[in-house]
Amino acid sequence: MPRYRTLLAASAAILVVAACAGNGEGLDANGRPVAPGSVTVPLSADFAAIQANIFTPICSVCHVGGSAPEGLRLDEANSYNLLVGVPSTEVPSLLRVKPGDPANSYIIQKLQGHAAVGAQMPLGGPYLSSDTIAFIQQWITNGAPPEAAAAVAAPLAVTSIVPDGTEPLNQPPPQIMIAFNHDLDATQIDVRSAHIDKLGDTAQSAAAVIPARLAVASANLKALMIWPMGPLGAGRYRVVVDASMPGFADTTGQSIAIGTPNELGESVISTFEVTAADAAVAEAKDPQ
Amino acid sequence: MNPRLAISLVLLFVLAALRAAPAAAEPYLAVQTGYKCNVCHFNPTGGALRTEFGITYAKVLLPAETIDNSLISNWTGKIVDGLRVGGDLREDWTRDSAPNTMTTQSFQLEQFRLYGDLNLIPNRLDIYIDEQVAPNGSQNEEAYVLYGSTTGFYIKGGQFYLPFGWRLQDQSAFVQELSGISMATPDKGVEIGYERPSWSAQFDLTNGVGNGTSGHGYQVTSQVAYVQPIWRLGVAGSYTQTLVGDRRVGGIFAGLKTGPVAWLAEADAVRDDSFPDGRTLAAGLLEADWLIRRGHNLKITTEWYDPDRSVAQDQQTRYSMLYEYTPIPFLQLRAGYRYYRGIPQSNAQNQRLVLAELHGYF
Repeated sequence: MPRYRTLLAASAAILVVAACAGNGEGLDANGRPVAPGSVTVPLSADFAAIQANIFTPICSVCHVGGSAPEGLRLDEANSYNLLVGVPSTEVPSLLRVKPGDPANSYIIQKLQGHAAVGAQMPLGGPYLSSDTIAFIQQWITNGAPPEAAAAVAAPLAVTSIVPDGTEPLNQPPPQIMIAFNHDLDATQIDVRSAHIDKLGDTAQSAAAVIPARLAVASANLKALMIWPMGPLGAGRYRVVVDASMPGFADTTGQSIAIGTPNELGESVISTFEVTAADAAVAEAKDPQ
Repeated sequence: MNPRLAISLVLLFVLAALRAAPAAAEPYLAVQTGYKCNVCHFNPTGGALRTEFGITYAKVLLPAETIDNSLISNWTGKIVDGLRVGGDLREDWTRDSAPNTMTTQSFQLEQFRLYGDLNLIPNRLDIYIDEQVAPNGSQNEEAYVLYGSTTGFYIKGGQFYLPFGWRLQDQSAFVQELSGISMATPDKGVEIGYERPSWSAQFDLTNGVGNGTSGHGYQVTSQVAYVQPIWRLGVAGSYTQTLVGDRRVGGIFAGLKTGPVAWLAEADAVRDDSFPDGRTLAAGLLEADWLIRRGHNLKITTEWYDPDRSVAQDQQTRYSMLYEYTPIPFLQLRAGYRYYRGIPQSNAQNQRLVLAELHGYF
């Protein structure tokens, strides 16, 4: 029976090596020491759990603020609207998150390190385990639903604008996002609803309208995206909403006017600045 | 005995005799046979396109039953002189459960890959490609030009897999995820290799898997292995410079054959300064492959992972039991169970996975 003795020895050795998983004492769901007063949410195929366990602690270390790569902010306020139904800037034919189709979602390919979509994320590692990625895949398979809405009863309102002008951008934003707390009625929105202006060097200089297209993704009706037709060069910009239009309405007919109209009937809802060096790099990559 | 089968067997043993250390499609087969990776694979560090010997092994010695069929008997991977092709198709079914999470099950085409090698000048110049055809459309895994010989000195440039420890089929193994080097993460650069009967050494200078083509950083990877008929020992190291912090990986791996059981072991450690506070991580693997009889292999694996050596009680383990049945040439059925144990507050670290796979190759 030498064959079975060998197998027995193999099994015993394996058990000796394996019997040492941690008991998790004093750790949060990510295995990190718990800060006093903090609340942990276990990772599951739910957007709030993914945000709390992956996007916030890992991704938003870099994907935050004015320097967020590709303009993709993965902080709690912006990640859903900048992910779901939004084309990636690196491979525009792929949506960052395509509800129901994880295999063709850019984020999954990016996390798995597929060569076709450039550098694997998180950049430089450590990379997410396949088990962790599986929860994001399952969330996408489930239709990529947002966090359970607590604000349904609240009136229609803008929840965030990206970029919001609080800090200079060291690279041109590929898109401008105006996010709402309700699903928008996309039929009420056309190219006149909002636009981007490049401001002149002096206060008296005329502002130039930047060619752009507007879209509300069917996969996420809570975000209006404005896509400049080419990379924004260095300079100061403003995002303008046309106050002469009926305003933005949600799918129940509730509408709001955003901002305070100026004498031209326009509401400037955000201004931001793109610094010279990185804008030049972006323009060199895409001379359009 | 069928004449073609007899010829195949003779060819097999002649080829084996000509090689200092012949081999396998998975690392455990290399340990069971005592062969080096380049005996059965074009890649000196294993995986993807099989050599003529690898094809012969796959149709004569690996399966439980050989098939008397002219197509199979004559198939060597060679289309015309200088051009070899091959492929792998894996269809998986998995059932995934975790605490507080809805159990899911699904069929997935894990991969369909095609390989080709154009040997323009014998033992001097090759152009090699490894293309994933599905899922997700066509995607290049490897494409490089190789000058020299994969049984001697060579230099290659292009996109290729980096050498680091055991090149396991299971890309989710802790040791592969820790090092960040696997068959899911090819890199672009150059590799210098030196193959001797009992030695295998590689040195790579690449962009760095995480750096991509960002234009910043680089990765240096090196591996040396000493191979004997019933045991082998290797060391590997990697240094990656990135914009967000440097990453150093070291590993040691070994194989041993005891009767019908092939043992594989690997231990890796990482110092990763891309974390704000810097972290030291470690992982280990012990695998036993019991060749019950020809065509039947029982694989038992245990793995250990410590995501931060400075934090207590955060370690994870993973146990796998997998039965691999190769009934006929070029077809393998695999089924098994994988049990994860981690900190109780993490659902992901306490998964249970049932898996089955249909694997066709040529």
